[in-house]
Amino acid sequence: MKYILKVFSATFMSLILSFSIANASSGVFKVSHDLGFGKDTNLDAITKGRLFQVVIKTQNRLVRPDMNGVPSPSLSTDWSANSDATEWTFNLRKGIYFHDGSAFDAPDVKYSLMRAKDPDIGSPVRKSLNVVEDIEVIDQHTVKMMLSTSFADFPLLLTDYRLRMIPEGSGDTIGQTGVGTGPFMVDKFDPEGTTILKANPEYWEGAPGVAEVHVIAIPDAQARIQALLTGQIDMNRYVPFNQKKIFDSNSKFTTTVIPTGNWRGVVMRTDTAPFDNPKVRKAFRLAVDRQELVDLVMGGAATVSCDTPVMPSDQYRLQMDCPQNISKAKNLLREAGFPNGIELTVYPASLEPTWPTIAEVVQQQVAKAGIKVNIEMVPSKGYWNEVWMKKPVSMTRWNQRPADTILHEAYHSGAKWNESYFKNADFDKNLADARSELDFNKRKTAYQNAQMTLWEQSGTMIPYHVSRLVVTSSKVKNLDAVDHFSIQWHKVKVD
Amino acid sequence: MENNLITENKQKNKIEKAFEILKTMASKPSGLIGLTVVLFHVVLALISPYIAPYDYKAISPNTMLLAPSAEHWFGTDSLGRDVFTRTILGGRTALTVTFFGSLIALLWGGLLGIFCGLVGGKIDDVVMRVVDAFLSIPWILAMLLIVSLLGTSTEVLIPALGFFYGKGIVRVARAATHDVIAKDFIVSARARGHSNMSIIWNEIIPNVRDAILVEGAMRWSWMLLGFSSLSFLGFGVSPPTPDWGLMISNARGLMSFAYWSVIAPIVGLSSLIIGINLTADAFAKALGIDRSTKAPV
Repeated sequence: MKYILKVFSATFMSLILSFSIANASSGVFKVSHDLGFGKDTNLDAITKGRLFQVVIKTQNRLVRPDMNGVPSPSLSTDWSANSDATEWTFNLRKGIYFHDGSAFDAPDVKYSLMRAKDPDIGSPVRKSLNVVEDIEVIDQHTVKMMLSTSFADFPLLLTDYRLRMIPEGSGDTIGQTGVGTGPFMVDKFDPEGTTILKANPEYWEGAPGVAEVHVIAIPDAQARIQALLTGQIDMNRYVPFNQKKIFDSNSKFTTTVIPTGNWRGVVMRTDTAPFDNPKVRKAFRLAVDRQELVDLVMGGAATVSCDTPVMPSDQYRLQMDCPQNISKAKNLLREAGFPNGIELTVYPASLEPTWPTIAEVVQQQVAKAGIKVNIEMVPSKGYWNEVWMKKPVSMTRWNQRPADTILHEAYHSGAKWNESYFKNADFDKNLADARSELDFNKRKTAYQNAQMTLWEQSGTMIPYHVSRLVVTSSKVKNLDAVDHFSIQWHKVKVD
Repeated sequence: MENNLITENKQKNKIEKAFEILKTMASKPSGLIGLTVVLFHVVLALISPYIAPYDYKAISPNTMLLAPSAEHWFGTDSLGRDVFTRTILGGRTALTVTFFGSLIALLWGGLLGIFCGLVGGKIDDVVMRVVDAFLSIPWILAMLLIVSLLGTSTEVLIPALGFFYGKGIVRVARAATHDVIAKDFIVSARARGHSNMSIIWNEIIPNVRDAILVEGAMRWSWMLLGFSSLSFLGFGVSPPTPDWGLMISNARGLMSFAYWSVIAPIVGLSSLIIGINLTADAFAKALGIDRSTKAPV
């Protein structure tokens, strides 16, 4: 009998041990970032210099987009609205703890979101979030958000990748600590070197698959490709399509093409001559052959856009055609008082590998309309501080956002990241009308009217929405084939 | 009449001397190869706009990354442009910028070095310490700073490269001057009451010229490499101007499957640098200069 008990106990213990080992976090997942914000790089998700490659792994949102972009529960389990969608009640997940040991509850939600509205902080997300007038703590696990207007798509707004929950009162230190409820905890923050994240064993969705994540600063795009080839990093989400062949034939790597709402563009400051004239801006945009850009720069892996930032899969996107029209572009320049054309300089940096190529192709295309483009390469480090929104013409890139968010954030006259300094009362009114409209069709019309205004007036040439070529080491498993902000990072494993 | 005859004779002597130097340079295989390569590149740079088979700017999605063929001898690049066309045009800017940059470097570096060598004392000490300080700054960082502030036009690049590559010439010119100032003809010139400028012009320059010219020729090849490095980093010439450094930079990521777009500019750049080095070496030997001491032997 004793012998049987011994055998039984040993078997039982072995089972428990092997189960624990199977579920323990192990391995290191190495990724990179481009150090685009230079010395301003930090871990406060709502600031301009946020290092999103870290915060998306250390902090959670109330609501996150599921694999199809639909709002789904995260730290909030469910939500409901009153009849005119001006008040939204969110029930919070119970038993959740921040990395510093404090419990996550309703005051943290209020603090995190109201902080993003603080004018002193000047968050780029503030403009989108201004619709929230107040947040009431109903109890420790329920909050009610009072909006200034009806907003039927409000949960969609909360899927914004920057609206992360942080501990109440941690605003002064969050930029360095990155404390959140996410699957990884910041062990060492070194924005110009290697930032080390450790697995959070208490993560509410289960222990992460890897023990550590290393986020390495590599400013040069080609250097990041080499880093991937040599095994210094395990994933590169910005591989140019013309380099796909390098990885396709190599069994050490896995390539995935992901359609996204991310876009690249050329921005003209609408407050600076000659781009303060809408005819000049439209002439430039009409002179571009977007399909040729898609073919040459993206190897065909992108969807043509007619200067709308709204992603192709979004229900509010304005569908239209915008072929290159050189004669119309010339006419517009003549009407604007530039019969001999204009000259401008763009400043690409290699932090976005496609920018120099976009600039070169656009240079040739618009030359036919009498627009001379000079190209001056600038350093990647600090691009967003020194060039973007400073020079009369700059290159830009944006990650996908819901229609309402991107239209507010990049074009509303009061937006902090209104990169083209675009000011148009009709556009602002259409956005306000869309938010308060409960009828879907009318709301759609208002958003599409706003996009039509952009086509006629805007200073940003958006040729396409990119498909992303993600290359990972074949050691990496369980990585969701979706954009950054929908990935469930705790599932990732490295063999 | 007599004066004219003397001038004519001097001119004839100079041409004869130059021809003699060239002959000596070409008498060694390395010198002959160097001269041929440099001459080939210079001629190519002059005639390439007239013999280029395609428009170097013409982009097309239909001709992206075509392998070498009868139609495109060196294939096409990622924007569908003819690599042969861009390669033969690719040395023009580099040669022009670095040639004039080397002249500037020779001029200011040589004159300042001779002046310091001649006057000596505190002026020499101060100038040489300033030169030392500049020598301690990595030139690429300083150049990046300059082009970030002033742009990448040739009007900026030529004087900037000329300045940074002239620092080394100051030292060589000064050392060569030290070798000649103790000689009798300088002492005599001083005794005759000649000014420093007169001594520099009539006595020192003719005696240190060869050493400085050899150093300048060497600097030219270094400057060419430096200029191409700037282009490689995206801070040399601006697209779509064909330039070897820029072409290598654009095509380096495609090397494993479109090698043709990167090999041609690499061969162009390296052959010219090797050619200049061999020529400078042969030039030094023809003048009887030991390059290990950078002074006349």
